[in-house]
Amino acid sequence: MANTRDIQNRIKSISNTKKITKAMEMVAASKMRRAIEAVLKTRTYANLSWNIVLNLSQAGNSNGGQALHPLLAKRERIKKVGIVLITSNRGLCGGFNTAIVNKAHKSVEKHKELGKENSEFIIIGKKGAIVKKHYNYDIAAEFSKEDIISEVKEVLPIAKIVLDDYLSGKYDKIMVAYTDYVSASKQIPRVKQLLPIDITTQDEYLGIVGEDTRVGIDKEFIDKKKEKRLQDKKNTYEYTFEPNPKEVLDEMIPRLIEVQLFQALLESNASEHSARMSAMHQATDAAKDMADELTLFYNKARQASITAEIAEISAGANALAE
Amino acid sequence: MKIIKFEIVTPERVVLKEQVVQVTAPTRQGEITVLPNHIPLVASLMPGVIEIIKENGNSEIMSVSGGFIEVSKNKVVILANTAEMAEEIDETRVEEARERAEKTVKEIRHFDRERFANINALIAKELARSRAVKRWKKIKHVD
Repeated sequence: MANTRDIQNRIKSISNTKKITKAMEMVAASKMRRAIEAVLKTRTYANLSWNIVLNLSQAGNSNGGQALHPLLAKRERIKKVGIVLITSNRGLCGGFNTAIVNKAHKSVEKHKELGKENSEFIIIGKKGAIVKKHYNYDIAAEFSKEDIISEVKEVLPIAKIVLDDYLSGKYDKIMVAYTDYVSASKQIPRVKQLLPIDITTQDEYLGIVGEDTRVGIDKEFIDKKKEKRLQDKKNTYEYTFEPNPKEVLDEMIPRLIEVQLFQALLESNASEHSARMSAMHQATDAAKDMADELTLFYNKARQASITAEIAEISAGANALAE
Repeated sequence: MKIIKFEIVTPERVVLKEQVVQVTAPTRQGEITVLPNHIPLVASLMPGVIEIIKENGNSEIMSVSGGFIEVSKNKVVILANTAEMAEEIDETRVEEARERAEKTVKEIRHFDRERFANINALIAKELARSRAVKRWKKIKHVD
């Protein structure tokens, strides 16, 4: 019979763990609320601006094959790809980090002609380092990540690296791997092509943020894009620019890239906190189940020892009586 | 009559989404007015006042602190850095904020360039807001 003292100790330690996971759940829940609020606020802006940028890229393609801006130009040979990977700083958030890293790894594997050595990661969040440890990718830069992000300012250094390295020719393509926030219980890892801005990329890389939530304009937007892509180059958008294309696009495109990165970061953050909350919720439930089960064992063991004692006493008494 | 789908958004919220017949916005090179069937256009905006005329003939006034305007097939999208409807703006607070900012410019002599630009942008923004309120009041009186 298991020692009642041992069982009691285990129950105590499990219920302590339960208290901790419960507290972590609460913290994650409150962070999640703020993150979700932030993500929903900027989603319309991000999607509309992405819409404009995609329209512009199309206008460029019909402009006698001459792109309007270096950031809209498709490069003939892709030699090196930069991937911005957004992960969390800390663990204990279920499959959140594994899912996004796997997704990024798979998308690299798809471009077989490139190979591992020509893909570099720019990681945001400490856990991103596992791409080096597990898959042996190169890491070009590492950024820390705040738990609550409120201002676009915070992505400016990342946007600067991305834009500079793209324009200088270090990378010929920039992808962003982030986790799209769908609901508190559902988050989808996604890889989106950020640069060059190109509407003819595969659907999965077109990356409409918040695609699955159907918030606001998204559904309409996607349908329209699909329709447009079917017509392909029949589209006759020819934009007039004021004062001139260079000046407007020089100001506009970097800003819209910043907004896209910002949105990706917000989506990831909301997803992370949701993932952590549900992971901690499960942990709390599991701890509760375990504690209940052990309490049952403990009661049984206690009862058994009492029964055994009584049996001994009564056997002794019987022996005396005879 | 042809109508324009008009939408103005900031990073914080959707300020207005409306069917309109006319949009006036302050661009880098001066004020432009967009009517239905306008050619596709992309321009950067200056701080200023945006005026729209709705299908029923009523106008709405907004202040904007800069951003971009995209005109495509009878659709106008404004990506504003910040924007407010005129009726949401508290005039006295705008004046106060503007005075404060102007005072800072006068008082402090040693600026780094970034700070100077920030304060000037703030003044331009508050000016745009107060102009929006004034324009709105004028219109509503005429109505």
